[in-house]
Amino acid sequence: MKKYFPILFALIILLLAAFLLFFKNSPISSEPRQSKNVLDLGTFHKEKSCAISPKFLKDMHIPAPYLIDLSQKKYTGIALYYGKGLHKVLHAKQWEEYGHFSTYSVDKKGNIYLVPMPFISIKEETFLQQKSIYRLNSHTGIVTPFMTLDDIVPNKNNPYGISAIAYDCSDESLWVAAIDETDYRHEKGVIYHIDIKQKRVLNKIEGFDALSLTLMQSSKGKYLLAGSARNSGLYAFPISKNSIHTPAIALLKLPNATQHIRKIRVSHTNTLMLESIEFNYSLIVQTSREDRMVTYATWEEEGKKWKMQLKQ
Amino acid sequence: MTKEIKISIAMLAIGLGSMGGYWLMTKSSDVIEKKSIDLMSKERIILPQYEKTIYQNIPEVQSYLYDLEEQIKQGNAVLPLSDDVLGKNEKLAQNIVLKSKAFLHDVKEGTQLLHNDIMRIRKVFISDLKPKVKEQCQKSSCYLVEKYNFVTNATTQAIVDIGHKKVVDINYYPNMQTDISLRLTHIAQAIALHSPEVAKELGKTPYEHDMTMANVRGSLQDSPCQNSAHLCVAPTFANHKKEEALWAIVDLTELKLAAAKWAGLGKTSTPACISERTLQNRYIMENYCQKESYLEKDGWKLSYHITGSDGLEIREASFHGKSVLHSAKIVDWHVSYKQKGAESLDTSTETYIEGRRVEFVKGEEGNYLFGYNDAMGCPMFSTSVVLPFNGPQVRELPQKDGFMLTQDFRNPKWPMACNYRYENRFEFYNDGSFRVVGVNKGRGCGDNAIYRPVMRIDMALGDKESFYSYESSQWKVWEKEESTFVSEESNASDYPYKIVSSQQKRGYYIEPNHGQFNDNSRGDNATLFVSKFKVTEGDMDLLTLGSCCDLKSDGVETYINDESIVQSNVVLWYVPRIRNDTREGHEYCWADTRIDDYGNLDVQVWPCTVGPKFIPIKEKR
Repeated sequence: MKKYFPILFALIILLLAAFLLFFKNSPISSEPRQSKNVLDLGTFHKEKSCAISPKFLKDMHIPAPYLIDLSQKKYTGIALYYGKGLHKVLHAKQWEEYGHFSTYSVDKKGNIYLVPMPFISIKEETFLQQKSIYRLNSHTGIVTPFMTLDDIVPNKNNPYGISAIAYDCSDESLWVAAIDETDYRHEKGVIYHIDIKQKRVLNKIEGFDALSLTLMQSSKGKYLLAGSARNSGLYAFPISKNSIHTPAIALLKLPNATQHIRKIRVSHTNTLMLESIEFNYSLIVQTSREDRMVTYATWEEEGKKWKMQLKQ
Repeated sequence: MTKEIKISIAMLAIGLGSMGGYWLMTKSSDVIEKKSIDLMSKERIILPQYEKTIYQNIPEVQSYLYDLEEQIKQGNAVLPLSDDVLGKNEKLAQNIVLKSKAFLHDVKEGTQLLHNDIMRIRKVFISDLKPKVKEQCQKSSCYLVEKYNFVTNATTQAIVDIGHKKVVDINYYPNMQTDISLRLTHIAQAIALHSPEVAKELGKTPYEHDMTMANVRGSLQDSPCQNSAHLCVAPTFANHKKEEALWAIVDLTELKLAAAKWAGLGKTSTPACISERTLQNRYIMENYCQKESYLEKDGWKLSYHITGSDGLEIREASFHGKSVLHSAKIVDWHVSYKQKGAESLDTSTETYIEGRRVEFVKGEEGNYLFGYNDAMGCPMFSTSVVLPFNGPQVRELPQKDGFMLTQDFRNPKWPMACNYRYENRFEFYNDGSFRVVGVNKGRGCGDNAIYRPVMRIDMALGDKESFYSYESSQWKVWEKEESTFVSEESNASDYPYKIVSSQQKRGYYIEPNHGQFNDNSRGDNATLFVSKFKVTEGDMDLLTLGSCCDLKSDGVETYINDESIVQSNVVLWYVPRIRNDTREGHEYCWADTRIDDYGNLDVQVWPCTVGPKFIPIKEKR
């Protein structure tokens, strides 16, 4: 038996070397460079969201449907439109306390998680406000900072901090993007995976600037879809067994190069509705619905390609 | 050596060798990727340096404009395709649609005719047809006719049954562009061939055979022109030796070169990254935001860059080797409007107009002022809202006694209401004088506007500068930081202020603008502040300074603290106050849009120009 020891030793060395080599190139690597592969998404459907209406709306006898308005046109912070023709408005002065919001995600308890946004004028508190995720409490209807990420440092050359959010119904976690460290030459955005209960960062993907995030389940698996802040592209990060795989896989690019995807939604089977805006890491001026372009992107399974159509 | 050891060594050699090979392969793909990224960053962008009028003498353009004008004079908005490019059936189809009210539904705005072109006519494909007309067109002969409206940027498609001589279907596509006509293809080619920028880049005047024509990307899709309300195409000049091509983006709405870009070969359609606005942003970022530019001309030597929110800044200017300026820039434009009804003013919630936060200030006699602060700066990674168009330009002064360095800043939707356009201009004269100039080109939200550009001028006359005002026939030195309203009374023989260096025994008189500079200005009505130099007080980028609308405060007051400025490095702040005028025949700081003789939109601008001139002191007064 002793004579086989050198062979056993060589096997152990090879296994160790292989592990180190493949570990280095494993999905945990933080550099989500664009993969050259075409991702076959399989089939995906519009699914019922686990999100419910905030409880305080029920207490106030405000029935669904309601519309969340973050356009900042009439109301700072958040406003809710409801009633016939969505003509009635609910807006509390307290909802203005943390400045302007750009996007949101609702959890299964009815809490609304809000993403801050620098808007038009930079005030003393603007940069500080970009470091936090805010939560409109489902029961109290009060907006408070839910979690502050101290490593987010906006500045006058890039006033943005947290830029996108998605709530994961399967494990009650949040996927949150920040783009503060990025500059004209370097893409240094971070996507955080956050445990809501513990308010703890579970994982980070570095080197990707996301302006929008959403989770999608297809016949081929689960994906975190991300609209790029740097270009007109839509990317996918495969998720399996609670770990996210990098690099990001490029899915498609919008026909108009200055349009950047701000909102991603599955509108019907194999079709994504992509709302886009012009975005240059400078202050956003136009925020109303008319300033957004809507593109329907349909995944053609047979041809393995995307067909895009601009909404008129 | 035993057999087992030999096997082990062989296993190790083969295994490690294979892993090494795999590692090298992944490494080399990284290198290729990095190379392509480097190549992307080296793609060169060229922005137009000439006015569009240079293209109006091209025979193809002249003839096109003549035909447009004639059509409009005859009461026809649509320029048809000429007979020589049409067969008998296509001619018939064109005649039918030009009589169809439904097809011509969008050719007028009020009573004014809008520029429309028939772009193409062809026999229908089955895929063009809706089910309801499919049957009819299978029995008869149908043609598709496409028209493009240059003013509304819309395409109308008609299906014409020439057998029954009627239009059987109409489809209207707002904000959509069609394939262009052969005539427009020739015009685009002619513009590209006559473009001085293209010739300079190619190193020769190009010929038609040097060029391939990239048409609009497929029917009814976005054109490569970023100003997506314009119709653009991109003729291409390939350099096969260098494996690159020059893409010339021609704007057919304006009939000019919009931009150009060198890119690698191998692209069969216009790359998505080629678009006027994207090219401009990248060009400005690369050349004027990320690095300093230098200019040496007529004895002047200076550097300049575009700031994050303080517009175009001149740094370290000298004249014949002597320092003149450390810095000059316009840090902000305060915009305010006067309204009646202060008593019922509700400011409990913030208000926004065209995306800007509006500030309200209660004034006197029941009036209130509202408005905002406009920061100008880099198009990306900045806190500006009024963005640079094209890069800084060097131009000769009208009197040919020097040159100017100028930068155009606009809201993308200018001249629409509540959108603004400002020019930052620095004039350098052959006698060593210079002028810091702010130009407002409207349009704003209406009348009763008051504009206040905040100019910061840091002279470079040494550490011991002294500031004087001319009062009661003598020069009085300013001992402390203070401000004064600049008198509008002009006296040609006297300058009201001067700044001198006691070390270098030289200085500059300051000549406020009373309208004497032949630029139709109505004067500066300025407030002048003098503060002691501090790095934190505007030497670096300033965020918004002060209130837009409190006319008693220009924002600079915060730097005026009674500090001694005797023989100090001082900073001048000059804040003109301009009132706009929208009365017909008296327009000032205003812009308006009309339909011109060709049925196209034409923007008229009535600029207002402000800013002081600095004249070197040559002899003792």
